[in-house]
Amino acid sequence: MVTRTHWRHVVAGREAGTLLGLAALCLGLWIATPFFATAANLANVAEQSVIVGVIGIGMTCVILIGGIDLSVGSLVGLAGVVVGTALQRGMPVAIAVLLGLAAGVVAGALNGVMITAGRLPPFIATLGMMSVARGAALLLSDGRPISGFPDSLRLLATGRVFGIPAPVVLMLSLYAIAYFVLTRTVFGRYLYAIGGNEEATALAGVNVRQQKVVTYALSGLSAAICALLLVARLNSAQPVAGIGYELDAIAAVVIGGTSLLGGSGSVIGTLIGALIMSVLRNGLNLLGVSSYLQQVAIGVVIIAAVLIDMALRRRVHRST
Amino acid sequence: MRTPTWLALSALAILASTVPACRRGTDAAAKPTVALVVKTLNNQFFIDMEAGAKAAADSLGLELIVQAPEREIDVERQMQIVENLIQRQVKVLMLVPNGSKEIVPAVVKANAAKIPVVTVDTRVDAATLAAAGATVATFIGSDNEDGGHMAGLFLVERTGGMAKVAVLEGVPGHETADARLRGFRKAMAAAPGMQVVASQPANMERDQAFNVTQNILQAHPDITALFACNDVMALGALEAIAAAGKGAAVSIIGFDAQDDARKAITEKRMAGTIAQNPREMGRLAVITAHRLLKGETVAAEQPVAISLVK
Repeated sequence: MVTRTHWRHVVAGREAGTLLGLAALCLGLWIATPFFATAANLANVAEQSVIVGVIGIGMTCVILIGGIDLSVGSLVGLAGVVVGTALQRGMPVAIAVLLGLAAGVVAGALNGVMITAGRLPPFIATLGMMSVARGAALLLSDGRPISGFPDSLRLLATGRVFGIPAPVVLMLSLYAIAYFVLTRTVFGRYLYAIGGNEEATALAGVNVRQQKVVTYALSGLSAAICALLLVARLNSAQPVAGIGYELDAIAAVVIGGTSLLGGSGSVIGTLIGALIMSVLRNGLNLLGVSSYLQQVAIGVVIIAAVLIDMALRRRVHRST
Repeated sequence: MRTPTWLALSALAILASTVPACRRGTDAAAKPTVALVVKTLNNQFFIDMEAGAKAAADSLGLELIVQAPEREIDVERQMQIVENLIQRQVKVLMLVPNGSKEIVPAVVKANAAKIPVVTVDTRVDAATLAAAGATVATFIGSDNEDGGHMAGLFLVERTGGMAKVAVLEGVPGHETADARLRGFRKAMAAAPGMQVVASQPANMERDQAFNVTQNILQAHPDITALFACNDVMALGALEAIAAAGKGAAVSIIGFDAQDDARKAITEKRMAGTIAQNPREMGRLAVITAHRLLKGETVAAEQPVAISLVK
């Protein structure tokens, strides 16, 4: 019973429009090109949605509390270089991975501290971090890519679990955890509450500051996980990796129907948003559409998604 | 419900915009499709390469897909494009790698799909390729190290062998710009009066080159020569130097001989540039692809001539 109402909640919610959009896009591509709906290509598309998908989890949480995190792209570069440098200096893979994840968490938590204790607007704090982290990545690596890693790390990109690419399995597991946390735990409920009305939430006795710091740390963590996947995929840690990823992640969140004002949205929407972006790019590549037109198409989808979001919001407003 | 209709409509609108491309695809059902993936299409060099490739594809009756990531530094996006084109079952992949080592996993995938890879302009790192057990059919491009050396010798000659030199490097770790740099430094090392006072990366981009040059001028207002690893950066440097009122004092040399650079040279605002022939690279790449399709063997290296423009 619970699961059924829950499923209805998912399908009838804001994600419905996004999901139908994804379905329409897939249907269109299926008709337009014989190369789209093949098992190999669909696995390919799923794999390509992982990078934005994973950062999108942290970004969804941050946007839910009414914040923004512009530093994630740079954190991808920094965490990757930390892993690469650690491996280059002969550290075991497990330690290098932990150091990389720690770099993301610490930088993210620092964002949170600047925003809460320092009372900086999230836009400014994370904009600053974007530059600091990128500079740190370049300093640490001397501006050069670090390449050639152990096979155990590369398994993150090349491995298969029951035939499904390992990065996809990892992403889906992270989404399952995030979905559970956001819908079934006190922590998750507080995120929505803070985004809905921060003062009231604080008055109700919630430690809003702590909650926010943890949220930004989680965003840093998801950027660091993305960095690991990217390093494994390219077999190279690049200080310039991840430039522009913050915007892709924000786009996925927005396409997925999460409100930039905070308080409403879901990670499932973000997953669909990330899929829409990778299906669109894949389809445009398959059709051999000009690179210039591709950028236009992606922009159009983002704008259309927000228009729908606004239309939906107005209707909800009218009906209540 | 109105919302899904909206989204479906917008999705359809986007697909509709791609219809001309699909129709071309069906008309050309009999034509074999080959793909050229370049570093970016924000750079005249690759636009020229595309033009050369298109002309050759038209005359040989090949269907050509040209794709590129938005940013030259975006190796991951280039890898996605290659993966997608492998799914598209193109017959030959012509590739200008954004990262000589990083693109190797994509070459491995192309090998697995039995799609021959023709590298153009920038090499794939040989050691990484060998370690991954992958192969490329051929390399078509200029000897960039030779070109960098040529640029260096020209600056030595022009400045009488005495100059304070600034260098704008490309994306660190990228093979093409690194090779140019090696050649240039070799020429500098052989000329005792040439002193390289600053050497900074500006990632092959015009606006970054402008800023980096402004900063270099703050530290070294007395530079008299500047080498940029591509014309895009040379033109950015040119603006910064002109804005500082030193336009006549600094000899600037770039690389690629783009239209804008050639114009700046005729206007005496730039000293010179090294001409590669991207059009010829594109043409030769498609001709090579055509030969591979016919099952012919091709030489592992196919050099394209370079020359000094002054």
